[in-house]
Amino acid sequence: MKKKWVLFLALVIALFTGATMTGTTAHAASDDSLAQVQKKGTLVMGTSPDYPPYEFQATVHGKTKVVGMDVAVGEKIAKDLGVKLEVKSMSFDSLLVALQTGKVDMVISGMNPTPARKKNVDFTHTYYQGGYSIVINKADKGIYKNKDSFKGKTIGAQTGSTMYNESKKQTTDTTVKGMTSVSDLILGLQSHKLQGVAMEKPSAEAYVSNNKELASIPSDFDLSASDTSASVAFKKGSTSLVAAANKSVDQIKKQNLVNKDYLPAAGKYLKTNTVNTSMLHYWKAFLKGVEYTLIITVCSVFFGFILGVLLALARMAQGGPLMTGLRWLATAYVEFIRGTPMMVQVMFVYFGLGLVVNLPALMSGIIAISLNSGAYVAEYIRGGINSVDKGQTEAARSLGMSRGYTMRYVVLPQALKNIWPSLGNEFITLIKDSSIVSIIGVSELIFQSNIVRSDTYRGVAPIAVIMVLYFILTFTASRILNFFERRMQHD
Amino acid sequence: MTKPIIEVKNLAKNFGDNVVLKDITEQVNPGQVIVVIGPSGGGKSTFLRCLNLLETPTSGEVDFNGENLTTLDPKRVNELREQMGMVFQNFNLFPNMTVLENIKLAPMKVKAVDDAAATKRAHELLKQVNLDDHADTFPSNLSGGQAQRVAIARALAMDPKVMLFDEPTSALDPEMVGEVLNVMKELANQGMTMVVVTHEMGFAKSVADRVWFMADGFIQENNTPESFFSDPQTERAQDFLSKILM
Repeated sequence: MKKKWVLFLALVIALFTGATMTGTTAHAASDDSLAQVQKKGTLVMGTSPDYPPYEFQATVHGKTKVVGMDVAVGEKIAKDLGVKLEVKSMSFDSLLVALQTGKVDMVISGMNPTPARKKNVDFTHTYYQGGYSIVINKADKGIYKNKDSFKGKTIGAQTGSTMYNESKKQTTDTTVKGMTSVSDLILGLQSHKLQGVAMEKPSAEAYVSNNKELASIPSDFDLSASDTSASVAFKKGSTSLVAAANKSVDQIKKQNLVNKDYLPAAGKYLKTNTVNTSMLHYWKAFLKGVEYTLIITVCSVFFGFILGVLLALARMAQGGPLMTGLRWLATAYVEFIRGTPMMVQVMFVYFGLGLVVNLPALMSGIIAISLNSGAYVAEYIRGGINSVDKGQTEAARSLGMSRGYTMRYVVLPQALKNIWPSLGNEFITLIKDSSIVSIIGVSELIFQSNIVRSDTYRGVAPIAVIMVLYFILTFTASRILNFFERRMQHD
Repeated sequence: MTKPIIEVKNLAKNFGDNVVLKDITEQVNPGQVIVVIGPSGGGKSTFLRCLNLLETPTSGEVDFNGENLTTLDPKRVNELREQMGMVFQNFNLFPNMTVLENIKLAPMKVKAVDDAAATKRAHELLKQVNLDDHADTFPSNLSGGQAQRVAIARALAMDPKVMLFDEPTSALDPEMVGEVLNVMKELANQGMTMVVVTHEMGFAKSVADRVWFMADGFIQENNTPESFFSDPQTERAQDFLSKILM
């Protein structure tokens, strides 16, 4: 099923937090997980809502919420425990890290209990046994029968997923193309870059029933049960919680709730979702994206600027060993931040710091981007300060102004004017780079567009919409910046 | 005997291996106008900048009103700098502020003078340097002579006891030198203590109480302007004067 636990991510987190993490895992031996959840009164479920009918976003009474059969499973477990369910959205790759770092209490996201995953987390019994289908264009219905009909052709599957691996193993002379999202794969199919897309049966059916040009055929993959079943994941060592959840899962199995209740209910949401696939219908989703993108950008610019000023001053500190140490630290910080990808920094702040303090995704994103931006802004400001004539400082000092006042009232205002275009660039870059926090589930523009794409089964339109939205944002920003630049012109 | 306001004792300054000032001991009395002249590269500007510690002396001491600047903490140095106005060759006006704001900045930030009082005082000073009609002009729209007069007004706004002038007319077009020197003369007539580094021999002759001739890192001669220009004592000074008075 779905994407496999991405080793790279584990590696990154392990690298940074190493000892701490093993420490936490060992700690779990004394298990009070169930008691803790009951004390809290809420059960936080992590899921990646881009995978109908398992989980996806739907508009219910004008409000966007995560629905699907997995959410129904989560609700059942929470109800049986006597607590409230809280659903947290994030990308599939991030789910297990979120579980290990305590961001969520459990993960239900069509996840199959593979041996590799079992090493890191505890699974309940399986609540659903699916199978694989291949989605094709309806026009080709006569040509393809199953996985063996694609000789010399190309089929697609989600990168890192079991389907992807099995497609590679169990086909001959067939090219297997991996893409991150199912919406992209369907788009590839419709534009004839792919001849078939392998996915789980319920998903295949959802896509086919929502798109008249698609058809589904059996895959006939030879699969073991653990490859096609879905389980609920808990943090390693939460024996009591797993045991409690197993009771609910067993009931679901016994009463065939998934097929009888959950899937039909999810289907209904899918229908209400796809009645109107015009982008206008989703304006609220996009508006939310714009809102969060702006919140992240504005906050990060603000804090990044303050940090940048402090770092720039620290990098120019002169004097005793304390000042030298400060300068060295600031330089090391700037070099390190500039030398590592922002994406890794975002994940590190969210998951890595998450081991120490539990920060919400939005705040983590703002912190990470501010920390990143500060390093760049520091360099601009340092250049700006150096660009101010030394005579300005001397004049100010000769008037009795302290070093601090001179910097604040004489040098910095002039430096700011000199570096304004560079700062403007940084601001506009941030508007675009804020999209990186979509990986930890902050509902900014990219994240929202992905949701609209999987909801509407339309691949291109949402991208076009956010492209225009991004442009409106950056263009407005650059107009505003130009206005202030003109106001600062005195010579 | 009046107590000197500035006393320099065994002052020396080197930049790396480059020795600029070697063992200078002199004093300035209140109300005196000292003109420092000498060949370029003789250490005149460095000497002047050591007086308000814009340059830190390598050894020796600079006393202001009896306090040794070189041993004071930075805060006290800032306080004493208020009492020593300085005017630079390149004016160093703050380009992002109007003339009025240039003058008001230090009194308001350092002395916490309120805006109304600072504005009133700034206008008075601008009248004194004949520039009150330029109060709202930005420095880039001023001529060199105007800019230097604003710089003098800015320094005066802190009500200094001493004014230091570092070649105030060297960057000016010839026709603007007069307006700046006139302001300085007026200031001298009002009794301001001044140390002026300049190449304006006419100013030295007519305004100075003492002329310090400086070359090779020493004050070679300390004399009245009359005797200095008519009868220089040192060979170095004779040589210098013969070159410039041609």
